[in-house]
Amino acid sequence: MTDALLVSNALLWVLVIALALLVLALARQVGVLHERVTPVGALALGRGPRVGEAAPGIEAPTLAGTRIALGGVSAQARSTLLFFLSPSCPVCKALLPALHSVIAREDPSLRLVYASDGPEPEHQTFAKAHGLELAAYALSTELGLSHHVGKLPYAVLIDAAGVIRAQGLVNTREHLESLFEARERGVGSLQELIARERGGSDTLTH
Amino acid sequence: MIALDLALAWAASAALALVFAQAAWHKLRDLEGFASAVEAYHLMPASLAPLAATQLAAAELVLVGTLVLPPARAGAALAALALLGVYSAAIAVNLARGRRDIDCGCTGPALRQPLSGWLLVRNAALIAVAAAAAAPTAPRALGPADALPIAGGALAAFALTLAGNQLAANAPASRALRARSPAFGARARSAEVRA
Repeated sequence: MTDALLVSNALLWVLVIALALLVLALARQVGVLHERVTPVGALALGRGPRVGEAAPGIEAPTLAGTRIALGGVSAQARSTLLFFLSPSCPVCKALLPALHSVIAREDPSLRLVYASDGPEPEHQTFAKAHGLELAAYALSTELGLSHHVGKLPYAVLIDAAGVIRAQGLVNTREHLESLFEARERGVGSLQELIARERGGSDTLTH
Repeated sequence: MIALDLALAWAASAALALVFAQAAWHKLRDLEGFASAVEAYHLMPASLAPLAATQLAAAELVLVGTLVLPPARAGAALAALALLGVYSAAIAVNLARGRRDIDCGCTGPALRQPLSGWLLVRNAALIAVAAAAAAPTAPRALGPADALPIAGGALAAFALTLAGNQLAANAPASRALRARSPAFGARARSAEVRA
């Protein structure tokens, strides 16, 4: 009798562990599936100036005490990447190295402008701690409002003619790369690209 | 207080040791990332966050070692209970502040987990396990048959904790997917109109 109980108990343990591992494997699989179905592109929020429209012309003060002109035709024929961030946003901080390496690879001539608003001392400490160029760090509430930036980190890619080429909420390196991808393919966001490739709205509203 | 069977207390200790080993492994692999997660909790001056992160990771490692050491086991279980309490309090404070979008810092950079009530439930379960591990036990000799509940219980509990973490990390993506569909269609339609 004791032997039988022991055998039955051992069998149950084996099954319990197998089931727990199976649940774990299923949860992992769900995670992988989520990664696959989520569009990798930066998420365009659909308010403010659209892709293809001119970026609002604004002259914003920088942390270096200078002023930086945004929007309009670039005299040096350079594109601009406006990166909206905040010292209190961990994702923004985590994304900075990826931002610099993506730019170095995709378009080294690009003018990178950090944009934020709020009390200046906080931004000075933040910019120095992360080695950000002070003259490229714009502090202007107007800038964020004009682009209807709601969530951070948000990026806007403006071409040499001052036209917005791609924009969206960026949370990962892939999102940043998608901005350049969207510019090269001439579409506003990857969602739009997917919509075009699938041939309209029918297949998407399910 | 009723004394707990020694095998059960050991199973609880071993399960906790596995959970903390995995947590410490993630933290040590990306100490910088964990430091910024600690900082994001806004519970201490930012300059202290890297130090606190290192100490938390070290504390977890010490717990892993002491939880499986017979003389230190009960004491380590109490320390684990305290550490879990601290984690829960930190999460609860930030939930109360409404800061649900910061990363928990529990599961490393590969598996971002925003703060949620689920984390408190998970920690409450782990605290119960720690309490069982710290409970007074009736002395008895452990035989070979005790290996089954100890190893089996610890492994199954560990796998279930991992599965729970994974499901919690999936939850935001799952919600976004459910919420996105109509807006996604609307965007596609507006793109078609413009084209």
